[in-house]
Amino acid sequence: MTVDSPVGGVAVGERWARAGARAKVRGELRYAADEPVRPCHDVAVHRGTRPHARIAAIDVSRAAATDGVIAVVTGADLYAELGDRIYTGPAFADQPCLAVDKVRYVGEPVAAVIARSPGAARRAAEEIAVTYDDLPPVHDVDAAVEGGAYVHDELRPSAVFGDLKHLRGRRDTNVNYEYVLRTGDAEGATAAAAHTVRGDFWCPPTHHVPIELPYTAAWPEGDRIEVLSATQTPSYVRQSLADLLDLPLNRIRVRCAPLGGSFGAKMYDRLEPLAAALAWTYRVPVRVAATREEAFLLTTRHGAAVTGSMAADADGMLITADADVRYDTGAYADVGPRITAKSGMIATGPYAIANVGVRSRCVYTNKPSAGPFRGFGVPQVTWAHESLVDELAWERGEDPAAFRRRNLLREGDVAAMGTAMHSADFTACLDAVTEAIGWTGPLERGDGRWRRGKGVAVGIKAVLTPTISNATLQLNQDGSATLLISTVDMGQGSDTIMAQIAAEVLCLGEGRVRVVTADTDVTPYDTITAGSRSTYHTGNAVRLAAEKMRDRLTGLAAGHFGVAATDVKLTPDGLVSAQTQRTVGIADLLHAHFGARGTTLTTEADYSTSWTPYDKETGRSPAVTEHWFAGAAAVRLAVDTATGRVRVEHLAVAGDVGRAINPALVEQQLTGAAVMGLGHALFDQLVFDEGQIVNGTLLDYQLPSVRDMPDRITPIIVESPHRTGPFGAKGVGETAIIPLAPAVSNALRDAIGIRFTRLPLTPERVLTALQKGTA
Amino acid sequence: MTPVFHRPDTLAEAGDLLTRCDHAMVYGGGTAVQILAKQGVLFATDLVDIAGIPGLSGIEETGDGLRIGAMTPLRAVETSPVVRRVAPLAASVYGHVANPRVRNTASVGGNIAHGDYRLDPPTALLVLGATVALTGPDGVRRVPVRAFFVGFQETAVRPGEIVTTIEIPRQPDAAGAGFSKLSSLSANDWPCASAAALLAGTSRAFGRRGPDRLRLGLGAVAPTPVFTEVELANDISEDDAAEAARAAAVPLVDPIPDVRGSAAYKTRLAFVAVDEAVRTAWKERFDDGGLPRGRRRGR
Amino acid sequence: MTTTIELNVNGVRHRLPVEDDDLLLDVLRTRTGVTSAREGCGVGACGACTVLADGRSVSACLARAVRYDGAEITTADGLPEDDPVVDAFVARRAMQCGYCIPGFVLMSHELLAENPDPGPAEIAGHLEGNICRCGTYQEIVAAVRDAAALMGENA
Repeated sequence: MTVDSPVGGVAVGERWARAGARAKVRGELRYAADEPVRPCHDVAVHRGTRPHARIAAIDVSRAAATDGVIAVVTGADLYAELGDRIYTGPAFADQPCLAVDKVRYVGEPVAAVIARSPGAARRAAEEIAVTYDDLPPVHDVDAAVEGGAYVHDELRPSAVFGDLKHLRGRRDTNVNYEYVLRTGDAEGATAAAAHTVRGDFWCPPTHHVPIELPYTAAWPEGDRIEVLSATQTPSYVRQSLADLLDLPLNRIRVRCAPLGGSFGAKMYDRLEPLAAALAWTYRVPVRVAATREEAFLLTTRHGAAVTGSMAADADGMLITADADVRYDTGAYADVGPRITAKSGMIATGPYAIANVGVRSRCVYTNKPSAGPFRGFGVPQVTWAHESLVDELAWERGEDPAAFRRRNLLREGDVAAMGTAMHSADFTACLDAVTEAIGWTGPLERGDGRWRRGKGVAVGIKAVLTPTISNATLQLNQDGSATLLISTVDMGQGSDTIMAQIAAEVLCLGEGRVRVVTADTDVTPYDTITAGSRSTYHTGNAVRLAAEKMRDRLTGLAAGHFGVAATDVKLTPDGLVSAQTQRTVGIADLLHAHFGARGTTLTTEADYSTSWTPYDKETGRSPAVTEHWFAGAAAVRLAVDTATGRVRVEHLAVAGDVGRAINPALVEQQLTGAAVMGLGHALFDQLVFDEGQIVNGTLLDYQLPSVRDMPDRITPIIVESPHRTGPFGAKGVGETAIIPLAPAVSNALRDAIGIRFTRLPLTPERVLTALQKGTA
Repeated sequence: MTPVFHRPDTLAEAGDLLTRCDHAMVYGGGTAVQILAKQGVLFATDLVDIAGIPGLSGIEETGDGLRIGAMTPLRAVETSPVVRRVAPLAASVYGHVANPRVRNTASVGGNIAHGDYRLDPPTALLVLGATVALTGPDGVRRVPVRAFFVGFQETAVRPGEIVTTIEIPRQPDAAGAGFSKLSSLSANDWPCASAAALLAGTSRAFGRRGPDRLRLGLGAVAPTPVFTEVELANDISEDDAAEAARAAAVPLVDPIPDVRGSAAYKTRLAFVAVDEAVRTAWKERFDDGGLPRGRRRGR
Repeated sequence: MTTTIELNVNGVRHRLPVEDDDLLLDVLRTRTGVTSAREGCGVGACGACTVLADGRSVSACLARAVRYDGAEITTADGLPEDDPVVDAFVARRAMQCGYCIPGFVLMSHELLAENPDPGPAEIAGHLEGNICRCGTYQEIVAAVRDAAALMGENA
């Protein structure tokens, strides 16, 4: 029997239905916490109440005596078992899963209760009494740079990144990483400028708030440990747990489930070290399910201060720009140092500027740790450069779109950090969004309560480099295929995209390729599912594996037909010999080859990227990234001058995706990122008071609902194929969030003549500025 | 400690529990209590669930207006054809609370007994002159809603008393009503300021206008919901009416600053809300020529 | 106190002993096999735990199970295979990660039962308490309108 579908070979570029679409709508798709696992004990965490303090004593006696409690575990208990291995983290091994000697933020886990029910665990956790000796806290990023109070006694770079080695043991500093970029003569050029603008910009910390809550279950299985976790980084987690427990990799199994959103929240070390340490040390199956309030404490987006300037000559060419960036990484570095460098190198934007100076620092404070968040630190620097370049256009009396257009980097141009542009069509993105909102058309500005304006912004981001992806492809005898990758589908649609890439090569129809959910016992290594890297990297590994499969098939068919392999083509109708005019379907071919039904043919491939590290003096590199993301946003809005409320009437976003593997999914990523970015522009922020989160529940934390949508959203796909992308493709998950906030702010500038430098653009901020005539 | 959950069958039993227990709270719709419990700030020793007590739910038209049982869900008020006819302002304002799920569960009595200064319904109840019936050890006591909110999250409910009914007088046929709710962050957030306005006057023949009374109920702009009324002169213009309303609101506005806005910002929004509510009411009361509109609602 | 309640979950009767403070969400998830209602915020603000009880939407994360003795509970996974709202969501691609979508589906059912032809403002007004962090609102609103049309044709 043949089940080959005749529609193969036309997968790429098609709007295939999202994998599991109906199951998602009916709620039948199982997320991690929906997966049946063996009966687990429940874990509740007792959290610190001080921003910075030494732990003098912990009294667990009442907790231990609570009904249903199996064990009460402190950081000291785990330290006795694990030693310094308790400290984990992707860039710095600085974070213990339970505080060992001191607490560094309000809400840090201090002790854990393992109990027979969630209620018993929670009740017992409340009975734990901790005595603290307070230390001076540092809440503000610039105060932390100054020093005086230090969050960590000494820096502890992890073994993962060789370029952080020189920081080991450094004391008396909160700055855990600094990236510097110098090219040309920034100061000299400023002196020669016709127009210069400067500003101090601020983006507050925010939270990802994926609606699925963090969840990890872990249990010992003989001499192995198994973990089921909501994570974007199963391969990383396996290595991290191997280090934590001092076990070989093959004794650790990390299983994933589809994620109910993540946006950077569920990666690196979240609940996994605690769950694994408890399960392994106490030899019990445990389940750690975070509440929403706890999720706010697990990771955040970096608040960032940027002091910057930009200058143009009399002809309207940008000649110099600088940026001093301070990322508030909170109590633990997480991947902050990477964010600091990757964002620092493009902190002056996608413009051809000969003289650039950037200093980008990652700074500890006594707050919950900040880590990756859709955009990886780039929206924060984009807020600065897209405000500055816009103001420079106003200063020159020039249309902000035209001014940008003249100065944008073009194909082949070498950016300030030394790497050339390719497949990053900023001007096409700019033109597309401005055209979509009718940039040059009439704008009813209003003169009463409502005033209108339009604004635009452009964004650039490098893909994380170097990274590694692997793919294993099994072609089943019946002509269906099973794809083993460790990319995690969290709503971005990777299961669909990867299936389409494999299907395109193998001429298979919709639904013929199934992607296996990541499981480190089964699916091969993949660096991370993050940073919009999967379509390109994993996509290339899948493409290569599929091409090998195609070659295997043509080889087998050549034998079958008795012709040369070059005579055989794989088509939607099967394998065809030009010479003999014979055709054989995959099912028949494999049946004949193996002499059995249900067999599989397996191929595999890896795809790795490399880079040239930054020059230590200049921060430049001729090959800093494998590829670039280019995007733009344009906004038409109305401002209520009575309340300060902004109403977005039309929002257009564009991204250069190289080639859209599935245009429908690309459009959803563009609009989804735009909606999230609109929240950041208008109201979404974490508010702290003396290190304590003030709005850490969904009754108070503000997310866009259907009533906050613009009247109209237009997602636009720009395609300038990448020379090594799978079918020319690159990722798109972050592209639209990057320029969103400055586009809104620039439209406000147009509407009411006021330049804002601090996010979010709340009605109060707008109204106060309207009263004062300045922000 | 988990509070003890009681499910009495009669009001007397419920009242007895409330008097007897150390720190008992009425459990009505349960929305607010469950949230307090989730956040670890429910300090009650006992919860008295009144859902099993017969006769506490339902909407009844009376000679003067409406009698609404305390356990009636907010959404039943919002969608009730009777309420929409007899007191359309109440139906509309109850429909602004939180989201439909909350309104399906939260009860009319619990909502008002919660005493939160940001709630929407009190603004309408204040201008409509509603009365809260409380049943306690000494029988039934009726408290005008204008005397019900006595302090920050503090109401006139005495120990042992339960809100059993809210009585809403009929909204005058020729009255104009308006409601404005202004949030400062996401659209679905708690308000920074809300205002209900009711404009009513003595009917005169042949479209002549007599003096109108303007009633204002404000939410979120002071530690309690607040009320005022002003008499508007004959033949006053819409703009002057709005100005008079804003002036009347000045002494009431005393906002609590929080993440949603400073006191100064909430004060500004309070006047915008008053202005919008009054202008909506004006348009409902008068036609473009400034003459009272005819009867809008049938019986 | 333990009380035995009866829940009719998607047409299947369950007799369940529950404690006074057991939440409907936990009872449905741990005792009746429902996984389509999920906790997202624990305070009734996100809608991921939405179920219909006798046709009315409820935040199951805030609801005491004991209050729902005898109720007909509908969850998204219990809807008929040819459910027009589900079909419209699938056709409109009204999902990304999918975690929140069952809640939107049930809210849409409640809306359409009350108002067979809702306009955009009425749709937004009914769905405003549900958060789709992936930002799929355009598709969701379009799906509700399509579902209204589908149900109108079949009425």
